[in-house]
Amino acid sequence: MSRRRMLAAVAVAAVVTAGQARAEDGFKIGSSVGLTGYAAVIDHAWQDGLAIAAEALNAKGGLLGKKITVIFEDNHSQPQDAMVGYRKMISSDEVNLFDSGCVSAGNFAAAAFVARAELPMYLCSILPKREQEQAWAFSFLAPPRFEMESRYRYLRDKTDIRKIGILYDPTPYALMMKDLGVEIAQSFGIEVVAQETYKPDDADMTVQIGRVKAAGGGAIVKIGQGGSTVTAAKNIKQLGLEDMLLMSSNDDGAIFQQAGQILGDRFLFVAPPVQLPNELKEGPAKDSVEAFLKYWKPKYPDRDPANSARAWDSMMVLAKAVAIAQSTEGAAIRDATEKVPTYVGAYATFSFSPNQHVGITENPFLIGEYADGELVLAK
Amino acid sequence: MTSHAITSTEPTSVGWRSALPIAAVAVVAAYGLMSSDYVVTVLGFAFIYAIFCTGLNFFMGYTGQASFGQSAFAAIGGYGSAILCTDYGWEPLLALIATMAISGVVAAVVGYPTLRLRGHYLAMATFALGLIAYEITIEWTSLTQGYMGYAGIPPLGLGGFELATLKQQFIAIVVMALIGVGVASRLRQSRFGRALASIAGSELAARALGVDIARYKLVAFVIAALYASAAGSLFAHFVGFISPEIYGTSMVIQSFAMLYLGGIGTTWGPMLGAVIVSVLPEALRGLKEMQDIAYTAILIFILIFAPRGLAGLTVLFRRARRPALGKA
Repeated sequence: MSRRRMLAAVAVAAVVTAGQARAEDGFKIGSSVGLTGYAAVIDHAWQDGLAIAAEALNAKGGLLGKKITVIFEDNHSQPQDAMVGYRKMISSDEVNLFDSGCVSAGNFAAAAFVARAELPMYLCSILPKREQEQAWAFSFLAPPRFEMESRYRYLRDKTDIRKIGILYDPTPYALMMKDLGVEIAQSFGIEVVAQETYKPDDADMTVQIGRVKAAGGGAIVKIGQGGSTVTAAKNIKQLGLEDMLLMSSNDDGAIFQQAGQILGDRFLFVAPPVQLPNELKEGPAKDSVEAFLKYWKPKYPDRDPANSARAWDSMMVLAKAVAIAQSTEGAAIRDATEKVPTYVGAYATFSFSPNQHVGITENPFLIGEYADGELVLAK
Repeated sequence: MTSHAITSTEPTSVGWRSALPIAAVAVVAAYGLMSSDYVVTVLGFAFIYAIFCTGLNFFMGYTGQASFGQSAFAAIGGYGSAILCTDYGWEPLLALIATMAISGVVAAVVGYPTLRLRGHYLAMATFALGLIAYEITIEWTSLTQGYMGYAGIPPLGLGGFELATLKQQFIAIVVMALIGVGVASRLRQSRFGRALASIAGSELAARALGVDIARYKLVAFVIAALYASAAGSLFAHFVGFISPEIYGTSMVIQSFAMLYLGGIGTTWGPMLGAVIVSVLPEALRGLKEMQDIAYTAILIFILIFAPRGLAGLTVLFRRARRPALGKA
């Protein structure tokens, strides 16, 4: 073959391949996740949940026959990196929608131009603050009120403790939860005698815990995730506070296990049903959990499924929205998401509407404990 | 922390060679303007950091001191602009200038006692300054909104004219970066710049020559704060949102990488380093999980083979050319 012919063949092949690539574009979902930094644990779970949901949906033919591709960009839990990642996914990858992780500041930083690009944002985090940005954003995070109510209800109904201390980190979600916790305590007959803050990387919280004890608190309601819960459990034990309860926010099962090993039945935590599958009763919730675990368990037999279940649910809501819209265009999906009928998911029940962009409207949380090597419903 | 090793032998003469970096900046800017918003964002951040590092270069490069706390002044600039524009309706450019003035005053007040320290003690004191500013941005929620951050910060503009598009803002940032480098270059060639170089060389010798060490250090610190504040403000207007993480320790680490990679103590090194450190991770994005490893490996490689930074390599080229010309 002469050089000229070979060049012509290469050029033709390149044109054909490019054409095929465009035809196979499918449906692209962009996901800005903090795979390193403070959000790594929860966002890794979010990433894996999206990936298995995409796999499950693609096995059923994708969205309107289009194969789903999820593009993940690590934002290092930093808003600046998140913004660059979002820009890249809009300009270079030309995504149809975002389904992003829990780095609130990163999602907030991008919300304005994502809204301008008319792309829906499904979020693991809370909604951005401005109304025009909220119009394009849908939160799959439970309202902070629910976690607090579940814990207060347990204290009121199952214990004699009426004085508590709140231990919280300064993240947006934790601050919202703390303020609500102070506000609604009285309606459960509970008095908040101390409000103590900590940083997620604090190696010791004995001072804060000591202050709660000194103020007469019989339980610590901890708001915040990660290893700090284990630190708090260790500190309670070190201080010899034999009657003090530690009630944790919803978190990864591995954290619950470690804290439970330290404090036994004095460690309680907020959990969605998927984290306590043995407690599930027959019904749509159990069906959804089983549908999710069918894909989850073979891949990750030893990992906690809670946050991945939430990501899974976001993809199932998306599939329903696309089916309603009969379109993969951003504005159509946004409008259709508001019309998705109440969906009983693996993590919670989701109901979106034009005035309701925080999907979890019913409290899904139970109170769990660690007993006999398992996470179980607290007695 | 005084070190003669970081003072540059870069020539200060004005000629066609001094126009080369400006031409290079123009080429990079033109490339940005012809590219997508993604590229513009990356380059926009690069030039904002170039302003920050050019200021830091005054204190660390020209004066030979260490400062780990410049992020504090960027935070003053960023939050000052956000509060003045969002809550009080100020013009962005006026807010930028006002916060620079505030940063200058804070730098003078803080620097006066702090700069009496030397070496590691000065480094620790400035690091504490950065940490204090970071804590304030988190804890003083009534002013800074804590981790919730400030949203809806308007883009740059003045007198009702707003740089509405990302590319218009990018042009403004590039122009400001060039002005920043131009001012730094002029100051470096002045009597003031020579005084700073003498301090970097040897404080004892400089004092013997009649240089008022404390005063010159303080002025260099204030100038660095002005640049940092401008960079912080520009960031806020460019992104439209700020939160404490932006002005945290990662900003300090990143700016150090830019400064040393580009060439500390050189005129164009900070800008060169800022562009490379900003663009390199994006060029390696395709490597996914290996991105960070490849990025840091390349940085280490460059620092091993160009310990004076990339701008310092020009000296080697010049040395290599001289014998060749001599032979001819």
